Amino acid sequence: MNKKFLAFGAVALASATVLSACSAGGDASSTGAAGSGSLSIYAWAGEIPDSVIEGFEAETGIDVTVDTFDSNETMISKLAAGNSGYDVVEPSQYAVQLMVERDLIAEIDKSKLEGFDNLAEKFVDPSFDPGNTHSIPWAWGTTGILYNEACTGAEVTGWADMWNPDYAGKVYMLDNMLSAYIAGLQVNGLSATTTDEAEIATATDSLLEQKPLLGGYNSTNYADLVGTGDACIAEAYSGTTAAKAVEANPDVHYIIPEEGGTLWTDSFSIVAGTANEDAAYQWLNYTLRPEVAALVTDDASLASTNAAALELVADQSQVENPAIYAPADSLTNSEFIVDPGDALAYFQDGWTRVRAS
Amino acid sequence: MERLNSWIARLVFVFLYLPIAALIVYSFNSSEVSYRFDGFTFRWYAELFRDQMLLESLRTSALVGVIAAVLATVIGFLSAFALVRLRVKGRAFFVGAILIPLIVPEIVLGVSLLTVFSSAGLPTGIVTLVLGHVVITLPLATLVLMGAMSSLDPSLSEAATDLGASPWVTFRRVLFPLLRPSILAAFLLSFTTSFSNIVISTFTAGVGTTTLPLRIYSTLRTGLTPELNALGTLLVVATLGVILLVGVAQMRRILAGPRP
Amino acid sequence: MVDVNTPRTSRAAGYLMLLPAVAVITLLVIVPMVVIARDSFAVSDPLGGNLGGFTLDNYAKLLDPVYAKTLGYSLGMAALNAAVCTVVGYIVAYYIATRPAKTQPVLLVLVIIPFLTDFLVRTFAWITLLGSGGPFISLLRLLGVEAQSLVPSQLAVTLSLLYAFLPVAVFPIYASMRSIDPSLKEAAADLGAGWWQTHARIFVPLSASGLASSVMLTFVPTLGVFVIPVLLGGGKDPLVGNLIVTLFTEFRNEPLGAALSMVVLVLMLLSVAAAGLILRARSGSARAGRSRSPKKASAV
Repeated sequence: MNKKFLAFGAVALASATVLSACSAGGDASSTGAAGSGSLSIYAWAGEIPDSVIEGFEAETGIDVTVDTFDSNETMISKLAAGNSGYDVVEPSQYAVQLMVERDLIAEIDKSKLEGFDNLAEKFVDPSFDPGNTHSIPWAWGTTGILYNEACTGAEVTGWADMWNPDYAGKVYMLDNMLSAYIAGLQVNGLSATTTDEAEIATATDSLLEQKPLLGGYNSTNYADLVGTGDACIAEAYSGTTAAKAVEANPDVHYIIPEEGGTLWTDSFSIVAGTANEDAAYQWLNYTLRPEVAALVTDDASLASTNAAALELVADQSQVENPAIYAPADSLTNSEFIVDPGDALAYFQDGWTRVRAS
Repeated sequence: MERLNSWIARLVFVFLYLPIAALIVYSFNSSEVSYRFDGFTFRWYAELFRDQMLLESLRTSALVGVIAAVLATVIGFLSAFALVRLRVKGRAFFVGAILIPLIVPEIVLGVSLLTVFSSAGLPTGIVTLVLGHVVITLPLATLVLMGAMSSLDPSLSEAATDLGASPWVTFRRVLFPLLRPSILAAFLLSFTTSFSNIVISTFTAGVGTTTLPLRIYSTLRTGLTPELNALGTLLVVATLGVILLVGVAQMRRILAGPRP
Repeated sequence: MVDVNTPRTSRAAGYLMLLPAVAVITLLVIVPMVVIARDSFAVSDPLGGNLGGFTLDNYAKLLDPVYAKTLGYSLGMAALNAAVCTVVGYIVAYYIATRPAKTQPVLLVLVIIPFLTDFLVRTFAWITLLGSGGPFISLLRLLGVEAQSLVPSQLAVTLSLLYAFLPVAVFPIYASMRSIDPSLKEAAADLGAGWWQTHARIFVPLSASGLASSVMLTFVPTLGVFVIPVLLGGGKDPLVGNLIVTLFTEFRNEPLGAALSMVVLVLMLLSVAAAGLILRARSGSARAGRSRSPKKASAV
């Protein structure tokens, strides 16, 4: 009588198989760290290597849970709803500003920190968080250009090349308002952190002018597109993806545009009202250690903010790789992209027009 | 024409498994980039089984999917039965209400659900995930079951009643067997919808309950890794294997003789 | 409980059975929607906070032709996708429904299995298949055809949307087609009706509710799709779902996002109501044409 239910059962069984296959592993990690407290971290995917978490758990006996988010905004809305249950979060630079203003992250007690002076100069007292009162930078990178020389047929030096009609249909921009405006502003010789309405309007015009040349807006698989040559030139973030693309194809290069460099950095912050403050400070101190910070380069192909960590990176070619660590001389007048505050409205109006044009 | 229809349908099945075939091939690709096949490797399978976070998110998704799909199918069945088989007044109103979640953009539903849960003091986690997924799968299950019930021949149950069968017996012996494949369809559709949801999960997941799609979506910024191909391959192959096994058992039982 | 002869008790039972659904919808849909409706009139601050208050500014901003353009494009894409999915879904559903009873559940499960792999992983598989290093392009080049990558292209978007939405088209059509009496097909054949006639006169009208569900389930969610247009279509033309996500996240303007959502919601409710009216007229005639006891047909 139950013949059709068998198929039903098949699916249930399959799910059960999956469940039991995974539960074995899942339980092992939670029983391993019995009773020494817990720490819940909400972070960008791929920015905290497993080696860091395992090392921390082994040393402190604290049970760490890491959840990952795909944008600062979803992370903020989860925290703003209250009762999120997270102890440590990893906001980007402008998100730190927003979270401070909305009282979502707690002030850091410097007297409880060890190894703060390991941080590179650029990340001490940064523009987005004066005095590092609310954030300890962990990983950083740049916004630049990834290009395929076999396709462009020439060396690419700056943003102006992204307006070159020879590459029509094979130019890709990041699908992100503030990132797109970095190119739009700097190509006109303007500061990427401007809040001036007229300057932003100039950038908007440039982006509108560029749109017919674009293959598309893409923040996800642009590195693959450059690798295959489906894209000649793409606006790109440095880090894991760019490094992989450069390594896989000798024609692919990552450069910081000559018009100027911009920095992003993702920092650890303590969630306001956390119940596990001690564990949170232990985490900050653990990740400030040079040998731990070096793992972000070794295991995640990202640049570490820790100056003392650089010489501890096992594969020193990573430190020389511009797709991970931007060369010091190209960073002389580089700035962090910070929250535009009230000028956000100018960017939004412009970006809405660009996207719908 | 009938033959043409069959051929097109078979082609659609090929179409459905085309990306799966690509997935299987690339799960053995030793290159880290997807656009080039460098050689054969088991490395991604090894990495998959070491990736605790990914496996735990798989467990969360499977658990939430099964619970949400069972709830949606049961509630959907009850609703469809009431709306189609019984003379409930205000049918259009109820149908409209059940369909609202389909019309609301997911992010809007997600954001507002988060607001509602937090003001109700309900911490995000498995419970909120299940609730969120029931909301979006309920219309699917209800629509499928309503479709099935509304095209059932009413004379069947009437005949049973005329022959003196009690309503419960009529339901169990006549209606339910006829509806079983549609119940299966409703369950499967609900399960896969829950299993693949990103947006609602974003706002209803809590500490330690990141679902598989959330986990994968968040890795987009650093690029999808080939171990995800390995995971996809295993899920498909395991399910196909189970079905094959069950299918064989079924054949045996049929050959062994008619059942009561 | 299922006694059609005592309408009053069965009606009471009906309401009881609707209770769980009504509870879910009220608490988890209506209440959140009231919150959103309220937010759509609120004042926002540039930090992404919601200051409350009452303003019509959010709706006034939506009068910008930019929004109408996006909405129009989205509706076009959604209509195209709904049409493609429903036609293909009908073909597949008919195929499944006409197989032996034992194979039907197996085929259903076969339709759904590919969807156990993650949506993004599947989408990337399509990119690999259709991209310049993939088998299609390689094959074309082998045949001497100079072919460009199919990604990004409208074709890639359409194929990938069909792929993503096929089960929600197949399942409701199958469910409503399954219980069509097979003898009707034979009768039609005996009367000399061709394939087209049999379908146009019998199968399509009798599976009307499934077809309507299929259109609903593929049309509306297309509006909210945002990964496929970006990855396979280049992302130059945002869909309205994409725009709402941008408003809620990148623009930190929840009230404006809420207002746009309310507009979409009302548009969709209107179209669903219209579809419901059309369907009621159709299914009324279909039912009367099929039922062997027309007098009692209204009980169904």
